[in-house]
Amino acid sequence: MPPKAEAARARALLSAAAREGRGRLARPILLGAASIACGIAQVWLIARVLTALLGHGEAEWGEAGWPELAAAAGLALLATGLTVAQERAQAAAGAAARASLRDRAFAILLAAGPADERPVGERAALVVDRIEALDGYFSRWLPAAALAMIGPLMIALAVAVVDPLSGIIMLAAGAMVPVAMALTGIGAALASRRQFDALQALSGRFLDRMRGLPQLVLFRRQEAEAESLALAATDLRRRTMRVLRVAFLSGLSLEAIAAAVLGCLAWRHGNLLVGGHPAPVAALFSILLVPAFFAPLRAFSAAYHERMSANGAAAALAPLLLDTVPEPGLLLEEVPPSLVVTFEGVGLTYDAARGAALSDLSFRVMPGEALVLAGPSGSGKSSVLRLLMGFRRADIGRISFNGRDATTLAPAELRKLSAYVGQKAHLFRATIRENIALARPAATATQIEAAARAARVTDFTDAMPEGLDTLVGEGGFGLSGGQAQRVAIARAFLRDAPLVLLDEPTAHLDPGTEADVLDSLRRLCAGRTAVIATHSAALRARFARVMELEDGRAVPVNRLAGE
Amino acid sequence: MLHDLIRILGLWRTRWSWLAAGALVAMVAALAGVALLAFAGRGVSEGLRTGMLAGAAAGSLLLLRPLIFLRPAARYLERLVTHAATFRALADTRVWFFRRLAERLPGGLGLRRAGDLLGRLVSDVEALDGLYLRALVPAVAALAVVLATTLLLGAISPPLAAIVAVPLACALLLPPLLAPGAARAAEAVAEAQGGVRAAAIDPLLGIEDILAANAEPRASARLSAAAETLTAAQERLSRRSAWGGASGTVLAQAALLGALGYGLAGGPGVAGATVVGLFLALAAAESLSALPRAGIALAAAGAGARRLFEAADTPAPVAEPVTPAAPPAGHALRVEGVRFAWAPDREPVFTDLSFDLPEGGRLALLGPSGAGKSTLGSLLLKLAAPGEGRILLGGADIATLSHDAVRARIACLTQDARLFDDSIAANLRLAAPDAPDEALWQALDRAGIGETVRALPEGLATGCGEGGARFSGGQGRRLALARVLLAPAKIVILDEPAAGLDPSAERAFLETLESATEGRSVILITHRLLGVERPTRILRLIAGRAIPAMG
Repeated sequence: MPPKAEAARARALLSAAAREGRGRLARPILLGAASIACGIAQVWLIARVLTALLGHGEAEWGEAGWPELAAAAGLALLATGLTVAQERAQAAAGAAARASLRDRAFAILLAAGPADERPVGERAALVVDRIEALDGYFSRWLPAAALAMIGPLMIALAVAVVDPLSGIIMLAAGAMVPVAMALTGIGAALASRRQFDALQALSGRFLDRMRGLPQLVLFRRQEAEAESLALAATDLRRRTMRVLRVAFLSGLSLEAIAAAVLGCLAWRHGNLLVGGHPAPVAALFSILLVPAFFAPLRAFSAAYHERMSANGAAAALAPLLLDTVPEPGLLLEEVPPSLVVTFEGVGLTYDAARGAALSDLSFRVMPGEALVLAGPSGSGKSSVLRLLMGFRRADIGRISFNGRDATTLAPAELRKLSAYVGQKAHLFRATIRENIALARPAATATQIEAAARAARVTDFTDAMPEGLDTLVGEGGFGLSGGQAQRVAIARAFLRDAPLVLLDEPTAHLDPGTEADVLDSLRRLCAGRTAVIATHSAALRARFARVMELEDGRAVPVNRLAGE
Repeated sequence: MLHDLIRILGLWRTRWSWLAAGALVAMVAALAGVALLAFAGRGVSEGLRTGMLAGAAAGSLLLLRPLIFLRPAARYLERLVTHAATFRALADTRVWFFRRLAERLPGGLGLRRAGDLLGRLVSDVEALDGLYLRALVPAVAALAVVLATTLLLGAISPPLAAIVAVPLACALLLPPLLAPGAARAAEAVAEAQGGVRAAAIDPLLGIEDILAANAEPRASARLSAAAETLTAAQERLSRRSAWGGASGTVLAQAALLGALGYGLAGGPGVAGATVVGLFLALAAAESLSALPRAGIALAAAGAGARRLFEAADTPAPVAEPVTPAAPPAGHALRVEGVRFAWAPDREPVFTDLSFDLPEGGRLALLGPSGAGKSTLGSLLLKLAAPGEGRILLGGADIATLSHDAVRARIACLTQDARLFDDSIAANLRLAAPDAPDEALWQALDRAGIGETVRALPEGLATGCGEGGARFSGGQGRRLALARVLLAPAKIVILDEPAAGLDPSAERAFLETLESATEGRSVILITHRLLGVERPTRILRLIAGRAIPAMG
């Protein structure tokens, strides 16, 4: 996509979110403007006191002394309080905007499921780092941008009232700031996007290497990997410095304008001095207000960088949030007690370069029947299961449940019909009990224990001090591959769905355990419709109906053993 | 906290010249800013007081001109140099952390979640930039401004110097005063950020199981809850930051109004000094305004540093010998009376394990799951050390050999052997970085996946995807196997090498095992034998001992 269109989409995403949170975003701006007004009044009082001190008290506005000083102190406290309130209001606005965008993005990522092939670290960075990077846009940039317009205008007008030329100098300078920033900011926005890509690549690479750390250590490559990590970091630094060299130019232009304004005002009032200054209060008022005049612009300049970061993050989020249309589909009225599964001429291709994963596959499985899919790895066994899980849609052909086209159902509804045990069961960081309950959160303790017994999970948890309440880590630390698989089988028991889908359920079990689990699996499949992908000869022997797959096609030797 | 931060500064010592240069430029920029406003104010005020543009007034306005150029240039340079210094220092920290984990957690992450660790590295290392950019640099710049103000005013009027400098010096104390309080809040934010990341990564890693269980709403709810915790923690931190900012403003205002009060009390005689004091206070306020945030940044950096060191200081499972023995010439393996448990309170895996593996021998080790077959690999590779007994490699106790020497001689196909998100060639070359393509093809052929790779349009350059996601389980397993076969090690441990292979492929592979591993010793760990492996010795693991089984 051309960078322009991409930037436009990023902006569209951000402004849509800003419209949603309009009410919240207005509060910090009002509070900030009130604080600036207090500041102007305070400086006016200070200028009068100082003028009186310098011996011009009788001119213009009369004497000023301790009462004015006390009032200035009061105004300073009030302005400070308003600023505190403003900061808290903008933090709240940012948090609300992030929460709503994060929820939407994560729901989309989950729904996309295994079809999204980007590394997990990269996808997680979308909902964590990218969303957090948007915070500055809502909590700092939006209020700062508004105040950068309102604040200097208020101050320049106040100055113009007492000394028109000083006011005009300020107004002109204020108008130059956004122009200078826009000129320096265009290149920076592009470079900022590249920097985020580099940062994300570094994150993804690090998660990948961390997960495989044992491999690196065993092959004695940790040192080489550390060095290439250093290279990647150096690359990131170079890119980032390239962004910053340009981004800081906007800061440079602001500083230059601020210094020039001070110079102009000093020069103007210095010249007026020749022959006695006509309006000494106005002279001091305008010079004393210079820091306050540039404060909102400095805040804007700091936040301008945040906006560019947010634009980079929004551009990465835009494809996810703007392009994803929820997959259409009907809702399931109720889970039927039994299910007939029919494939008619089904074909599936993941990647045209690697050929079809499935082609012209037809079969029917009746309730109480188990279909074993056999064949070498890569022959398409797992693809059949993926279709039945709604992880993928078939390219051609028809898959039907009880005679009705399965594609009319939304994928999540399709999955309500089945219990699934994959090749590599993932154990979440939770107790074994919670890991089993994942399949049916409403299950009672008794039901969970029954499922654990049926899958022979209790065989090993009984020996653990905390039994089913033992904590397991990411990837199932503390449990062997076979034990993790048994937890997954317990989930399927607990799920109690009419369709059972098993993908190499006994791949990691030794023959003794396999025989035990096979009994459990037979009980699991009894009375249900089952589709099982396996290499295991023992498993094949237990089930009557086997279909051999080769290169995504059924080998035409369907045998009906034992019948 | 202080100790952790000092340790971080120690890690950065090779970058001190960069860091010092940044601080120096920041001081120059801050002083230029103060001088700019002070000269402008003084020029006009002196002119008003004396009623003419001469003497101090004219001099001040003349000095203004070079400052108008110096100040923006110095600020630009300050930002470039301080950022360049920070990135260098942070890159060092990142690499140091990786090396440390490779040394301290070589066996993998276990209960420490990879997602959480990534959060540690990316967020915590990045939070360390606050230590320099937002704490040290502003503090040094503000210190220079306060010192200059005190000296200048002290020369004109010591009482005025006290009135202006005392509140400003108090503002200097804000960072160390605010930091401990903010540290807790910052720690909570960092903790909550790790929680959000973990809540996002865990369900994405197990996405098939989440979808299969229709658990998407629950995963979303968990992420929302983690994000709310984060928001609450950030809210507490931003409240502290806002109040810190407010106290800084109040102190700067006290200096400014104090100077004015001094003028009112002293009358026309002190008006000249008052003007200087007033404008210096006004100018100093800008430099000091960054200080309260410096306290927050200091706290955030402290929290990040603590978490980094907490992970990095995990004791190494097996210490390197202080003076490693010379690597032995032979590679006969002998295990003598090994007793081992993963933790003192857990059941021992081995009670009295002993066996021999002569050079070129092929040992099959059988046992049910959970019998400690994989643990043996960890002991041989020095990822764990036996509680009792010893392991001899070529006659030398491996405890006296360097980790590197042992791992150079023993290659292992672990059960969780992982492919990296890189090309097939890069994955294979982990085992032998300089191997030519022919050697890679030979290893792929021996592992029975050469044909599959040849059929790929990109061949050896094909990416594997994260964790080998591009390939089926069986294909990934064979790629990992090819990687081990490529390693120039004399002993090869194959932990369930055929898991995930279909029976005919399994048989075909095991039949070629003898030629594939020619000239090397092999330990084949498996739960059953097909009868084609032709081991020279078969042992069965039972109750923590190795019992000879029928060959």
